[in-house]
Amino acid sequence: MRKYPSWKKAATAITVFLLVLCLASLLALLLPPKRNVSYIADVFQNGNLIMSIPLNDTTESRTFTVTGENGCVNEIQIRSDSIGIISADCPDKLCVGQGFIRTSGLPITCLPNRLVIQLRPSEDSGANSEDPFAVPDAVSY
Amino acid sequence: MSRNTSMPVKKVTLLALFTTLSLAIYAIESAVPPLVPIPGIKLGLANIVTLVLLRHFSARDAALVLLARILLSALLFGQALSLLYSLAGGFVSLIVMALVMKLLQKNLVFLTGAMGGLAHNMGQLTIAFAVTSTGGVLAYAPFLILSGILTGLFTGFCAGFLGKYLPPRPMT
Repeated sequence: MRKYPSWKKAATAITVFLLVLCLASLLALLLPPKRNVSYIADVFQNGNLIMSIPLNDTTESRTFTVTGENGCVNEIQIRSDSIGIISADCPDKLCVGQGFIRTSGLPITCLPNRLVIQLRPSEDSGANSEDPFAVPDAVSY
Repeated sequence: MSRNTSMPVKKVTLLALFTTLSLAIYAIESAVPPLVPIPGIKLGLANIVTLVLLRHFSARDAALVLLARILLSALLFGQALSLLYSLAGGFVSLIVMALVMKLLQKNLVFLTGAMGGLAHNMGQLTIAFAVTSTGGVLAYAPFLILSGILTGLFTGFCAGFLGKYLPPRPMT
């Protein structure tokens, strides 16, 4: 094997180091496309909180039914990042039409059955997920 | 500064010229609106002067010019906080570049530039982390690593091309 001058070895080492860093940061930027905020789904019936389901600890979707006091039934499905009503016995099925929600924007409501599903950010992620880019506005050279 | 009284007049003049040059580059770059909406990402063209000084003069001269440029720019354009960031970034980058340039024996200046850009951004990120003491700023790390390496490569290439037109050691 040919003997390289020592600076060429250093150059190779530095190049490899920089390439690895570039790849690692590219991966870090590309891999998690979703935001690092976990939500808790609150299900209200007649204005009372009947259950809170953290969304991030379910990896596969599961389904359960909520039965109201006058016999009305809503079937709710939880997926890994969203929640929605998949069937209801109410006449208009508006709640089913609202689909699945994944952010704490609009809640899902089923007015005939007085059912509301709302997402809120969980406490542990809420503190610093408020604005993950909270940095001073003066970073200069 | 008594040590520097032995500095030849020609060298003092040259270093002052380089300080003016880097200050002018810095001022022009500050006037250009940022390309990306993330603070801290810019070309860092004034680093070209630091690289040239490191390569053709000495680490001590580069440090003097860098310090003068940072203090003057803070006086002219800056805020107190940005002075802290500039000092941290500038001197971490200077130390790393001096080491890498010695390792590479002044070959492949663009590699030195890339390491310097990376070190600069890491130094600033560390200060940002210390000042805000929130982990949120670490979300910036991938952006800053990439931009530091890329802009450092660019300034390194510039300094390398510039070096072809300069004598290897104008003043010692």
